[in-house]
Amino acid sequence: MLFEIKNLVVHYEGAEVVKGISLEVDEGEVVTLIGSNGAGKTTTLRVISGLKSPTSGEIWFQGQRIDRQTPQSVVKVGIIHVPQSREIFPYMSVLENLRLGAFLRKDKDNVKKDLENLLENFPRLKQRSRQQAGTLSGGEQQILAIACALMANSKLLLLDEPSCGLSPIMVQEIGKIISDINRQRSTSILLIEQNVRLALKLAHRGYVLETGKIVLQGTAEELTRSEHIKKAYLGG
Amino acid sequence: MDASAWIQAIANGFALGWMYVLIALGLTLILSIMGILQLAHGEVYMIGAYVTYFLCVSLGVNLYVSMALSMIVMAVFGIILEKFLFRPAQRQVLPPIVISLGLTLILMSFAVTTFGLKEKSIPRLAEGSLMFFDSAVPKDRIIAVGFAVALLILVYLFLKRTKYGQAMIASAQSPEGALLRGINPNRMSSLAMAIGCALAAAGGTLAGSILMLNPSMGTFPLMKGLVIIVLGGMGSLLGAAVGGIILGLIDGILPVAFEPGIASVAPFIIVIIILLVKPQGLFGHE
Repeated sequence: MLFEIKNLVVHYEGAEVVKGISLEVDEGEVVTLIGSNGAGKTTTLRVISGLKSPTSGEIWFQGQRIDRQTPQSVVKVGIIHVPQSREIFPYMSVLENLRLGAFLRKDKDNVKKDLENLLENFPRLKQRSRQQAGTLSGGEQQILAIACALMANSKLLLLDEPSCGLSPIMVQEIGKIISDINRQRSTSILLIEQNVRLALKLAHRGYVLETGKIVLQGTAEELTRSEHIKKAYLGG
Repeated sequence: MDASAWIQAIANGFALGWMYVLIALGLTLILSIMGILQLAHGEVYMIGAYVTYFLCVSLGVNLYVSMALSMIVMAVFGIILEKFLFRPAQRQVLPPIVISLGLTLILMSFAVTTFGLKEKSIPRLAEGSLMFFDSAVPKDRIIAVGFAVALLILVYLFLKRTKYGQAMIASAQSPEGALLRGINPNRMSSLAMAIGCALAAAGGTLAGSILMLNPSMGTFPLMKGLVIIVLGGMGSLLGAAVGGIILGLIDGILPVAFEPGIASVAPFIIVIIILLVKPQGLFGHE
């Protein structure tokens, strides 16, 4: 197993928000974490990337235990977190942002090649490479944030609401980018999405998180057919 | 007033302005990366000047070598301050203020007990003057401005062209974004303090060779530095440079053009007017 969470418990300001969840992501898999606001999805991602400490439980990546580590060492093993707020650097150029994505990499020549390839794959970014990142549209900023994560040569991507606040056309484009990344680079992805339809289209498997507990799990097909999902997340 | 007095005033303004820029650059780096208003930065400037004085006058080391050594000593001092004083107080509001104010008193008392209250002087950077339109401009002022400009360019190139410089800018713009790319925030804080303190030491030395050294020489430049970063826009390096020169020119020219009373209040009035028009500062974001 590439990535595994075992019995994770997390407190946030005294309240238990993640109540002992376990989940797995296999090599080359897209796994989605579905749940309403406040279910504990974002908190789970923040714990994985080392921004927050768990109360108990274990997180394993490629046979290595990575809970309670600094964000730097999590990035170093190949897990990149793209938060909902994107956290690009607004007053730096698109190019500078992309280079910083590869901050911890030592293979300078490959970074250069990767940057060129990436710009070929993302013509929107190439067009605006000298522009300040903050002047991009919301969708372009999301693409930039994902592209920065790719520059880190990540093995597992943690995407938090990548389609949030985007136009329907942009949502389609982001969806295509995510599935391309998974297919062409065989990067594993743990995806949080409010847009459950999109999430189940992109994912192989999924978990449903409600008030800190996993109440349902299965393949994307099983979840799409589930009455519970239909009622609670797909509007009947 | 004749032309030569004006040229003198402008030359003095530029020299003063660049000393302010050196202070303001450090303040703004420390503020934007660590989120700390380093109120003892003026005292770092003062101690930097005394370290040069000690090396150059007491030990007889060459002035320029002394200045370089003083910058290194203060950079190391900055790293120590960051690690043991400011880091434990990270992300809090009052403790850093209390710490930096306390540090002000400690450093000032240290200077008083070690070097005394009597004013000291560092040798001039150069003797003689150059003629500009029939009026003499002392060479040491020109050299001081040259040094300050060179340091500013170095800092700019470091921030713009090197990986760690870029990481510093990134940490200032989005601390969480920087963390998620694997940038170590503690290392960025150390760098900010090291660079800031080295610049202050250079500023203190240059000012000390033009004016005099005394234990309270850092108070006034700190106030100027604070005004500059507000004027230029919080966290903007370009703003710090332009703000510094504007303030220096105001300080150099007004005392010649008006009576001293007006001259000492005027800079603040001008800054208030600028901020009324552009509240985010000249080059501020948001």
